[in-house]
Amino acid sequence: MTTLLRASALSGGYGGDEVVRGVSLAVAEGECVAVLGPNGAGKSTLLRLLAGILPASSGQVELRGKTLQAWRRRELAREVGFVPQIVNFAFPVTVTEVVQQGRAPHLGPWRPPSPHDHAAVEAALARVGLSRRGAVAVQHLSGGERQLVLLARTLASEPRLLLLDEPTAALDVRHQLEFADILRQLVSEGVGAVLVAHDWNFALRLAQRLVILHHGRVWAAGPPDEVLEPELFRNVFGVEVEILRRDDGPPMVLPRVIAQG
Amino acid sequence: MKRGADLVLVAVLLLAAAAALVLGGPAASPDEALAVLSGGGAPEVRTIVLGLRLPRLALALVVGASLALAGAALQALLSNPLADPFLLGISGGGAAAATAAYVVLPAAALGVVPAAAMAGAAAATGLVWWLARGPLGPSPTRMILAGVAVNAATSAAILTMLALAPSPRLPGVIAVTMGSLASASAGQVAWLAPYVLVAAFVLLLHGRDLGLLATGEESAAALGVEVATVRRRVFLAAAALCGGAVAFAGVIGFVGLVTPHLCRLVWGGSTRRLLPRAALAGAALTVLGDLFARRALAPAELPVGVVTALLGVPFFVALLRRSA
Repeated sequence: MTTLLRASALSGGYGGDEVVRGVSLAVAEGECVAVLGPNGAGKSTLLRLLAGILPASSGQVELRGKTLQAWRRRELAREVGFVPQIVNFAFPVTVTEVVQQGRAPHLGPWRPPSPHDHAAVEAALARVGLSRRGAVAVQHLSGGERQLVLLARTLASEPRLLLLDEPTAALDVRHQLEFADILRQLVSEGVGAVLVAHDWNFALRLAQRLVILHHGRVWAAGPPDEVLEPELFRNVFGVEVEILRRDDGPPMVLPRVIAQG
Repeated sequence: MKRGADLVLVAVLLLAAAAALVLGGPAASPDEALAVLSGGGAPEVRTIVLGLRLPRLALALVVGASLALAGAALQALLSNPLADPFLLGISGGGAAAATAAYVVLPAAALGVVPAAAMAGAAAATGLVWWLARGPLGPSPTRMILAGVAVNAATSAAILTMLALAPSPRLPGVIAVTMGSLASASAGQVAWLAPYVLVAAFVLLLHGRDLGLLATGEESAAALGVEVATVRRRVFLAAAALCGGAVAFAGVIGFVGLVTPHLCRLVWGGSTRRLLPRAALAGAALTVLGDLFARRALAPAELPVGVVTALLGVPFFVALLRRSA
């Protein structure tokens, strides 16, 4: 497996406050890494650092062997697809118009979209099952459909690496499974993914490796079987859990009570 | 349908421009004005049509296009449907400086009023930018709040100066604060045109970036937009456009706010395509507004800013209700 993205001793935050401290991780082609941790652990900040949206205060991120600073913003956007948690639609736009924005990294300021650009938009819409909803205003969609539109917009740029910030936070269980299927398919096609999640069971469906963040540092990292221990949940999340290991699927985490002490 | 609407827009613009040249007082009747346009006509009618109405039309076109373009760009940049040069205090800064110039300067120095207006708009722009700065650059929300504060300060300053202004200077002050194209000259247009073209080019160049910024800065950055650079360029270009407009036409309200929304209702949400259409529509709206201002109560003339506001307020209210 070829390494797509490698972060080494990465630190960063906002205005002098370091939120992420010395995090190292790597993502290979066809691999999904889930980043988990309590609220405020630095998960979203880590994702912004990996996307190059937030400059690192120390350490570095390499994409295909080249540091992020050496990439031009537009070239980087063709390789890395970042799906933000919230997108503000201040003006009425249709689903197709939003997904077309995903082609922006491939277009200059003046060039109109080519047939390939249109095909990429169609393919992205088809992938998330919204081909027939292209003319609908995004404002009229449900939260779940909106999240699928954002994924389609990112997929339209044909990235090799996906960075997803709690993509299923607002989704009902059916949309969650749908989302998981789409991601699993993409990863099996060789796309790398970093998935920030709160929902353990969703993450476990997809991730080959887990990175647990606590106070901005990596508390544990590795394959789910190695990482999933009740002590982890007690120490990092302050909860007692039951871990259900199954023969026919990934393990499941069942929260029980708030840990004592 | 969009192609058809484009044709209607161009037709309205051409008709409005023709009407602005042809319609007017008894000194140059429509027949006589038409004769001038076909190359003939009496010398005094030629002076009225080519020396007065034509520069006024040209200024209306340039100012209207500038305001609408600036409004469309600022709305996208700040992903806020209420953003416009007014709300951000830029027009207010220009108007306050121009008013101060009218009140303070001797009659011989009144030629520098446009320069004062531009300096005031630039100062307000800088002040808003400075007030809104933060660890990650100025945020849209802080920019709007800073604009509201600057706007309130400039209105207070203008009202104070109005109360204290010597009466012979009041018409000039009123022309600035309510907007007027009455003092248009060919020289003003020649001065303004290249300046507006450069700023308009910058905004059109970033049309696609602005469409992405309208969905938020993080999402724009993720799709390859150099947010800090684009934000600085667009804000400066938009400020330059409204500074130029205020310098020669005073504060013409609502063109910058309303025109982009009108265009969105007709043509849909793509910001890149919205910008040139908003420019044309803003030009048409301002020419029509000025024509109405000149002719509605002739021989008295209404301030064009009042007319565009009268047209704009009902639309604005309807827009608020629609978004509720």
